[in-house]
Amino acid sequence: MSGSRPQPTDARPQDLPVKAELPRLRVEYVKDSRLAFLGHLDLIATVERCIRRARLPFSVGNGFARRVRIQFTSALPVGASSTCEYFDLRLTERLDADEALALLRAATPSALEPVRAAYVPGRLPALEAWLNRSSWEVAAPGCAFDAAQIARAVEAVRERGELTYLRGQKEKRVDVAATLAGFEARDVDGGVELSVETRLAGCALRPQVLLDAATDVLGLPRVAAPRVRRVGQAHEESGRLVEPFGPFCEKDGTPLS
Amino acid sequence: MRARRENLFHLLEPLLPHVEHPARYLDHEWGAVSDQDGPFHLCMVYADVYEVGQPNLGVAILYNQVNAQEGMSCERCYLPWKDMAGLMREHGVPLLSLEGAAPLASFDAIGFTLAHELIATNVLETLDLAGIALTSAERDEDDPIVLAGGPSAWNCEPLAAVFDAVLLGDGEESIVEVCSCIRDARAEGVARAELLRRLATVPGTYVPSLYDVRVDEASTRWGYAVPRAGEAAPEVVRKRCVNDFAATDAVAQRIVPYMGIVQDRLSLEVLRGCARGCRFCQAGMTYRPVRERPAAQVVSCGVEGLLSSGHNEVSLTSLSTTDHSQCEEILRGMNAELEGKGIRVSIPSQRLDSFGVDMAAAVAGGKRGGLTFAPEAGSQRLRDVINKNVTEEDLESAARNAFEAGWRRMKLYFMMGLPTETDEDVVGIARMAERVLEIGREVVGRGAKSGVSVSISVAVLVPKAFTPFQWCGQLDPDEVRRRQQLLLHEIRDRAIRVSYHDADVSLVEGALSKMGRSGFALVRRAWELGCSFDAWTSEFSFELWERAAAECGLDLADVACEEFPLSARLPWDHTSPGVSKGFLQREWLRAVEGVTTPDCTRTSCTGCGVCPALGVHNVIQGVRS
Repeated sequence: MSGSRPQPTDARPQDLPVKAELPRLRVEYVKDSRLAFLGHLDLIATVERCIRRARLPFSVGNGFARRVRIQFTSALPVGASSTCEYFDLRLTERLDADEALALLRAATPSALEPVRAAYVPGRLPALEAWLNRSSWEVAAPGCAFDAAQIARAVEAVRERGELTYLRGQKEKRVDVAATLAGFEARDVDGGVELSVETRLAGCALRPQVLLDAATDVLGLPRVAAPRVRRVGQAHEESGRLVEPFGPFCEKDGTPLS
Repeated sequence: MRARRENLFHLLEPLLPHVEHPARYLDHEWGAVSDQDGPFHLCMVYADVYEVGQPNLGVAILYNQVNAQEGMSCERCYLPWKDMAGLMREHGVPLLSLEGAAPLASFDAIGFTLAHELIATNVLETLDLAGIALTSAERDEDDPIVLAGGPSAWNCEPLAAVFDAVLLGDGEESIVEVCSCIRDARAEGVARAELLRRLATVPGTYVPSLYDVRVDEASTRWGYAVPRAGEAAPEVVRKRCVNDFAATDAVAQRIVPYMGIVQDRLSLEVLRGCARGCRFCQAGMTYRPVRERPAAQVVSCGVEGLLSSGHNEVSLTSLSTTDHSQCEEILRGMNAELEGKGIRVSIPSQRLDSFGVDMAAAVAGGKRGGLTFAPEAGSQRLRDVINKNVTEEDLESAARNAFEAGWRRMKLYFMMGLPTETDEDVVGIARMAERVLEIGREVVGRGAKSGVSVSISVAVLVPKAFTPFQWCGQLDPDEVRRRQQLLLHEIRDRAIRVSYHDADVSLVEGALSKMGRSGFALVRRAWELGCSFDAWTSEFSFELWERAAAECGLDLADVACEEFPLSARLPWDHTSPGVSKGFLQREWLRAVEGVTTPDCTRTSCTGCGVCPALGVHNVIQGVRS
């Protein structure tokens, strides 16, 4: 019985679609409310199921596991929410981007709502490596420091160059000098709000890790449950920032608009 | 007193950053029923963590069934892992349902699925975390009614004191009747004791508190249950059975989990029941008769289920999927519909013949992972004893077919401690594995790169209620270990890997399968000493179970290994899956003589008694080969 039916893998390699030529749909979505606690692997599986439910003409890889051809941005820490996550999906046909967005929205839980979709050049680098800049907002309600104190403490952490911390059993080493691209703190009612700019360079700098290291410098108790939110992602090239949806310029990059 | 129904997620949320896998506690999955207006509220509980409980088909079926009723709502609850349970106790947060984040103690009824014996201490842990009294007798007038059902309800006596009522057999219809009965009785304001009496009038519902346990010379030391004087409860409670299986929804799992769960795929129950008659198999005896879904229904509902859930794998589940008379048609139909969508079709186990291999090839497409067969015993004599109607030739030709069709890894399941087993039978397991390996090398080649390997997994027989082996004692754990060593020494080829079940875990499972109502003392003491998640190798503590047994004046090996006389009244004789005791006794005697009994879906009736007792019959869509 099995021998009589052609299987997808029986296709000759030269007949298989070339990935770079397949339409590449970039989708921006949020990660909000209680789904902030969804881990990265669970998120990947969930988005794949949303795509299948939306019945988009997704392309499937040729490997053993027959996975949907999809790429994600760098993992959010569990518990952090985001207004700007992205995935790139390879389609087998160029469906209208707005129509694809509408189909996706109808098939996705509201806490992961897709908010924008557009086609991007097929030969752009992998999404996770390409979006190498993140902007974060951190709310530290009820903290025992003010904005000026924590700003000085963060500066002290940056001057040390390297930060080590334990994640589970593993020791992580973060190059703060390379990964911390900007920092601001504001006093607000009942606490402090921080804006943190990070850059991908080796081990990722998590805003909460930075905050913990800075409060340790101050000799104060760590903030029990800071609220961390990613509010921007971009591609940094030769000192300029390119937004996720472009405009793209092959040679010189495009300044942040 | 009944807790107030309110959403308490705000109490749980601050704990989420501090626990492993917070996704276990999130709810809001795609397909979850968020509209939980009631006014009647049931909460289905699987007393293990989310990723273990969520795939359970029984919970899914009953969840849909109750939520489809006007005026009834059904939510889910899983047992939090130890880290979360600790934090909840520390912060005074009671156990909450998923959908409404309402305290479990606020529900009208709570339904436990008893998927296996080792879940017993988790049932107590669940109730304790919920702030609900552990036993039926300790509960207040308006406390939730605590229900149970599922495969291990076939000897629920060690937990009988916990449950207000136990639903026997298929729950599709009876759960709705039981909930209606509770709702109406509550509306009329009847007393709890009277409510329980009414529940006993719903067919298939066993209300333990209406029975007394008597111990006499006709019984085992655990006694037998009889209706309490003055109570009208039935002497024998017979199971419920859905005869028109095709009229039930083929896709029960409508909830799409966020986190990876142990069976992360869409399950389609393609048939219920199995009449092969393996004498060790409790499900084979208690899920009769055999009811197949039509192929067209499986294919169309399967495709619809996949499209609406987004799963990338579908499993055709049942006790024996390749026995479905339209198996080939189903697989051909599924493959045609799903081509190019990156969706995998799987069947949980293969029939041990070349048809089984053909079907495995049909689901695997061009891929070849491992292939699993279950010869169960190492010699023909012993396979006849257990009524596993496969021969050495069946296995050899299946193995040859599989290697020729491209498989390289073969997994074989066996059992140890089967009645009449000798060292020769144990050595036979090793010889059989070597024979399969040799066939693989003949077909594929002998070089190191041929990749041919065989792994064998050896479980310990736990004699279960309502099987022909229910009178047997379990093999003594020291003897289990000796035979395991014997097997290990007989395996000489490195391409054969052996794994076996822990003798101590099997012993506790055996004791729980065998004990009567007074065994509750042991379960309670074990839980008090800290036993929970006993089915998790990392959490199981034999020392604590031994200590609990000693404090209750019991010895686990003595309990599990005790033989019961064939004529004795058994602790579970007041419940019935429809299979007659006479049939089981006959099957035991035939087992001892090594005489096999055929499958009634392929030959004529073998007289198990289910059809006349329950007014049902086998429903076979085509002709079984």
